[in-house]
Amino acid sequence: MSGTSGTITALQAALAAEQAASYAYGVLGAHLTGQRFAAASADCVAHERARDRLSGMITVRGGQPRPAAAAYQLPIAVHTSAAARSLAVTLERQVAAAYLGLVAVEDPVLRTFAATNMRDCAVRGARWSGRAQAFPGLSRPR
Amino acid sequence: MAQPSRRLVLTAAAAGSLTIAGCKGITALGPVPKLGHDVVTLEHAINAEELMVARYRSAVTALAAEIGPGAASVKGKSARAKAEVEGILTEHEAHLERLKARLVLPRRLATARPRPSPAPPPLPSGRHAILAELTAAETTASDRLIRWLTDAPPALAQLMASIAASEAAHVVLLGHPGGHR
Repeated sequence: MSGTSGTITALQAALAAEQAASYAYGVLGAHLTGQRFAAASADCVAHERARDRLSGMITVRGGQPRPAAAAYQLPIAVHTSAAARSLAVTLERQVAAAYLGLVAVEDPVLRTFAATNMRDCAVRGARWSGRAQAFPGLSRPR
Repeated sequence: MAQPSRRLVLTAAAAGSLTIAGCKGITALGPVPKLGHDVVTLEHAINAEELMVARYRSAVTALAAEIGPGAASVKGKSARAKAEVEGILTEHEAHLERLKARLVLPRRLATARPRPSPAPPPLPSGRHAILAELTAAETTASDRLIRWLTDAPPALAQLMASIAASEAAHVVLLGHPGGHR
């Protein structure tokens, strides 16, 4: 992807995913206790920080960060601790995929930021699921 | 006189076909051109992944040896570690396959630059030491891929970022074989 407009599109895609994850972690954290609640809180803060950095990156490039929605349709209905953990795994996988476009921009600083965030998502996903993926973020062979 | 090897015969046949076609042989084509930076980056990634696969295969063998006679609790932990390491090995083999699929070299270049298979590095003995060694290798490999991807072509950068993420997730599994939050 090249040019400012392509870069801002990639930043907006990552921002949208981080906004959704920040919201969803708030929901799923309510169904967890003890160490799991603490882990969810820490992961929520990580997504909020990434969200804020992405907003700043869009602004300095002359773009307008798209605002977060008031609420999001969650991919999993959360009524139990197990469902909350399952949602955390799904979120991390979705956010990792949302950074792929940003890994492909020309700016090496943005590439590194995106790859580092993809990695953080994979690590959090592995902590929640006890499993890794061979190709986090990539849904099909490339 | 010894029988010529199959490779020699093939080389001779190739030289003959060049002569028949009126060519002056491979030297007439000039020096083998240098590889592009993209290809060098990809080759580095492939070499690193080959080394990782070799390291994991050694680890599986070493952990299997630990599951011999011994206390049941030790055997259970070694069995869990071996199962985890085998699962991660499968993912590294997939990484290697996906990276190699991207490497398309003209035959002349590939022939001019044969790549030796990496020798498995020696592993320490004992389950804890083996897992620590693999953890360090994964961390190093993940960091290195993120450094390399900054000037790779976009699609290769995405693949490298994904593999770097996978390797970092392996560190979590190696720290807690068979466990999660």
